[in-house]
Amino acid sequence: MVYEDTQRSLRALAGIDLSIGRGEFVSIIGPSGCGKTTLLRIVGGLQSPTSGRVLIDGRAPQEAQREKQIGFVFQDPSLLPWRNVIENVRLPLQVNRRKHTGKDPERVVELVGLENFRRYYPHQLSGGMQQRVAIARSFVTSPSVLLMDEPFGALDEITRSAMRFELLRVWRSEAADPDCTVVFVTHSISEAVLLSDRVIVMSPQPGRIAASLEIDLPRPRDEAVEETQQFIDYTRRLRGLLREHALV
Amino acid sequence: MSLEGARGGLQELDRAGEPSRGPRPSRLGSGLRELAAQVIPAAIGLGAMLGAWEAWIEIKNVKPYLVPAPHRVAERLYEDAWFFTQEGLKTLEGALLGFVLGAGVAIVLASLMSQARVLERAIFPLAILIKVTPIVAIAPLLTIWFGFGLMPKVFIAALIVFFPIMVNALIGFRSINAGSLALLESLSASRAEVFLRLRLPSALPYLFAAFRFSVPLSVIGAVVAEWFSGDRGLGSVIYIANNNLDMATAFAGVFMLAILGVALFLVTAAIERRVLFWHESNWAD
Repeated sequence: MVYEDTQRSLRALAGIDLSIGRGEFVSIIGPSGCGKTTLLRIVGGLQSPTSGRVLIDGRAPQEAQREKQIGFVFQDPSLLPWRNVIENVRLPLQVNRRKHTGKDPERVVELVGLENFRRYYPHQLSGGMQQRVAIARSFVTSPSVLLMDEPFGALDEITRSAMRFELLRVWRSEAADPDCTVVFVTHSISEAVLLSDRVIVMSPQPGRIAASLEIDLPRPRDEAVEETQQFIDYTRRLRGLLREHALV
Repeated sequence: MSLEGARGGLQELDRAGEPSRGPRPSRLGSGLRELAAQVIPAAIGLGAMLGAWEAWIEIKNVKPYLVPAPHRVAERLYEDAWFFTQEGLKTLEGALLGFVLGAGVAIVLASLMSQARVLERAIFPLAILIKVTPIVAIAPLLTIWFGFGLMPKVFIAALIVFFPIMVNALIGFRSINAGSLALLESLSASRAEVFLRLRLPSALPYLFAAFRFSVPLSVIGAVVAEWFSGDRGLGSVIYIANNNLDMATAFAGVFMLAILGVALFLVTAAIERRVLFWHESNWAD
């Protein structure tokens, strides 16, 4: 991926070669400006690479989009303020009618614990609740790939830690495709270790994959995991990898 | 405190807690009190002004063909209430039809321009041309083309509201949340879907901001048209009364126009509050 403007061109990503298994939870971690978001947008078909290609189940991202196989969650919940919770969750089913099957919005809203807030509007909800709506919305089409760009980055630490487990729970619930693959961009070492099967470390200028770390912690994971020696060892190794590769 | 406990506590707070902004209270009593709190100071202000006016006429012995005393204007309105109401409705008809026409064309053109820059470059200069042409200069022309009656009013009112609504609509159609757009794109939503589900609702706050001042503008447009070519309406009532030095009638006409303007402003604001309940401009203080 090369960004060009009139003065100069900026190489945002270079030589990214990555394959992700079906149903895998992969986190991408790296300093600001290392191209994590750009990579995610290319995988999701929101941007086209200057060279190279992305295949999702052997198809281009744009094709996967047409089948509503891609779910997105951004740092900003991006809810429509004129729609209440249930209407926001229903939105993905209402556009692009080529595929209109999906989960029952009521059920997905229940799964993220907002059953008592179905008729509330975004401005009546806390930041954490808004992000839960965004997560419910991403699951409603039952996507095979879920792309999350620092979804908890704007939340306070307490809400954040609760939301991580919430995400894992919904991901493994009947709301999600059992083979749902997650690519999760984050700045947080413990978040990456806690959630992932594998963590990809990116380094900047140009953005590239510097290292990869398999996380072999048993699932389902709960709060107790964070206090195990294994978890602590993984975070230490990941911190080491970041220090080694990702400093500008 | 264990992590377990922290989580439970958080969820209770998060789920069962009252939202920061609940539905606004709509009890009749508090509504009336609020209304009284707004209306009483305004009424006192208006009363003081009318009193001073009346006193000035009395003390200085101002001639009635120059400035009428407020009580004379009130008498005039009372005597011929039906006449003034009918003429007011004629003006209102022209103004509202013109507003609908002008707003409709403005919104359609803005929606086209929001789709492609090349359309903006084609349409915008023409819109500016309309904007900079003094309406008063073309009003007599419209009389020649459309004769007397409703049509010139509708056209002038439409011309006068067209530009501000178009500019606001265009800004509104472009002021969309980047994440919401990305979300719709990731679902392969069509352009029409993006427009209807995202651009149009996003533009509503901008549109209502334009409506607020262009609705009274449409009344001005209708009055200007009546001034030049009207056989009916408050504009021609004022014009004729002026020529006859019948100041009480002229002022009664002006007063009716003021009432009309205030009523339209309040109706627009009420509709805005209903439609834009979700927008931060309408959140409870």
